[in-house]
Amino acid sequence: MDNTNIVEFHNVTFCYDADEGEQQPEPAIRDFTFNVKKGEFVAVLGHNGSGKSTVAKLSNSILIPNEGKVLVKGMDTADEDLSYEIRKTVGVVFQNPDNQIVASIVEEDVAFGPENLGLPREEIRKRVDDSLKAVGMYEYRHHEPHKLSGGQKQRVAIAGIIAMRPECIFLDEPTAMLDPKGRKEVMDTVIKLNKEYGMSVVFITHFMEEAVLADRVAVIDNSRLLLEGTPKEVFKQEDLLRSVGLDIPQITNLAREMKKSGVKVDDSVLTLNEFVENITALLGDK
Amino acid sequence: MAILETQNLTYKYSVGTPFEKVAIEDISISVEKGDFIGIIGHTGSGKSTLVQHLNGLLKPTSGTILLDGNDIHSDKNFTRQARFKVGLCFQYPEYQLFENTVYEDIAFGPKNMKLSKEEIKERVLRAAEFVGVRNDMLQKSPFDLSGGEKRRVAIAGVMAMQPEILILDEPSAGLDPKGRKVISEMIEQYRKNTGSTVIVVSHSMEDVAESADKVLVMNKGKVEYFASVDEVFSNAEHLVEIGLNVPEITKVFLALKKQGYDVRTDIYSVNEAKAELLRLFKERGVLA
Repeated sequence: MDNTNIVEFHNVTFCYDADEGEQQPEPAIRDFTFNVKKGEFVAVLGHNGSGKSTVAKLSNSILIPNEGKVLVKGMDTADEDLSYEIRKTVGVVFQNPDNQIVASIVEEDVAFGPENLGLPREEIRKRVDDSLKAVGMYEYRHHEPHKLSGGQKQRVAIAGIIAMRPECIFLDEPTAMLDPKGRKEVMDTVIKLNKEYGMSVVFITHFMEEAVLADRVAVIDNSRLLLEGTPKEVFKQEDLLRSVGLDIPQITNLAREMKKSGVKVDDSVLTLNEFVENITALLGDK
Repeated sequence: MAILETQNLTYKYSVGTPFEKVAIEDISISVEKGDFIGIIGHTGSGKSTLVQHLNGLLKPTSGTILLDGNDIHSDKNFTRQARFKVGLCFQYPEYQLFENTVYEDIAFGPKNMKLSKEEIKERVLRAAEFVGVRNDMLQKSPFDLSGGEKRRVAIAGVMAMQPEILILDEPSAGLDPKGRKVISEMIEQYRKNTGSTVIVVSHSMEDVAESADKVLVMNKGKVEYFASVDEVFSNAEHLVEIGLNVPEITKVFLALKKQGYDVRTDIYSVNEAKAELLRLFKERGVLA
């Protein structure tokens, strides 16, 4: 990870248009300042309606701020002439895989983006194969997407985005509609893209256990950035998180409860392994 | 007598075409009045197909479904009655709201039951209050509500039919932790107030372990387990093999056990976990 910012939000405010005859709604995102560094894995937490999805849409000029600026590698998303370059740099994956698949064969779906970039045939072939291998779906390249499981479909959707070779990918609750197995498949894929391919990842989620895996966690509440820091720093703020409808990982909760009862356990643990190691060290011999 | 029973239930999609596929096979389960049953299974395991049989929405390819001891497909009138006795709330029910107002939407089920106007009104108001839909929201369009509010309106619509058996297919999917908690508590309260039988399809092992008495595990269209929460989660390794999971808290104790510590492994909540760990610490004199 170096210190270059791929995406920068500068005091961004965005408000959706009012329906006919309705009052102007409250801004979905307000005075929001947030950066994504090259190679970084950031988790974004927030309850339903907090403004998380709006952030994803603002990142690659699907939405344009009313106030403030979003810069992608220095390019202003408000400049329509740049939207092509911006969308090549930042890709967005949404919650529902069924809404993101356009073709009737897996590899054709993944080829949709690169075809629209007007790349030569050989280059498209290579990118489609590479992308499908990266998400572990190469064996399914000739399958029909609608016959895949939710986790598989979501991985195809991710392959379609990474075939554009973006430097940064925003995923808007990509695991919300999946079962535990599908969630793990998607999570493993995202971690691989970040660690092995150095892609910057912004992972929007409701699952505390997924946020724990990020380098940095940002919490959005009531359209504003509430809290930002390493997972350990953020999950220390139990009361604050609860007050905005979020939670801490169950394991962390247990560690806290143990500490309250006088056990000298490290109450900042976030994962199962950390906690078990901690407990066995305290317990000593079997 | 069981309130609901399936006997060798089998359902095939697209029978007689090259796409014929067995969705569920030879399912025989029995549900007692007042049971709280959690159904788990990975995507495509047949959970949703199964619950759609329980109120007669799908007709089995073979086998029978007995409601209060009677075959629900024995005559048309009884099948219709079964839809009211067994209330089914689909996955992402907020996509199924369609009326002009929230009130009309909740009233849709009771209206179909041909109840009197007064009775319908009473039921709508009661169901709305129960799920926390405020009175001033009743005349709004359901499409002006937030996702969580829509979900609650949809659930109220099923509750307003006052079914003896309430079935919810992943009622908390896609909601934040607070929203999930609200829905769980609502269902528990509904069960307490009405004594209804409740069946919940869920991906959240934590939720199932916390609220259900019995767990039905579906795998590849068949029943893998149908037993108490303890019995089912004691097969943690096998559950993982079939694409499921056990609660994170339970994994702590499975890991400790594996390392040779003498601990219980039927632990699903933070409070139980704390008690069991404290017992272990005290026993070893690590804790005064």
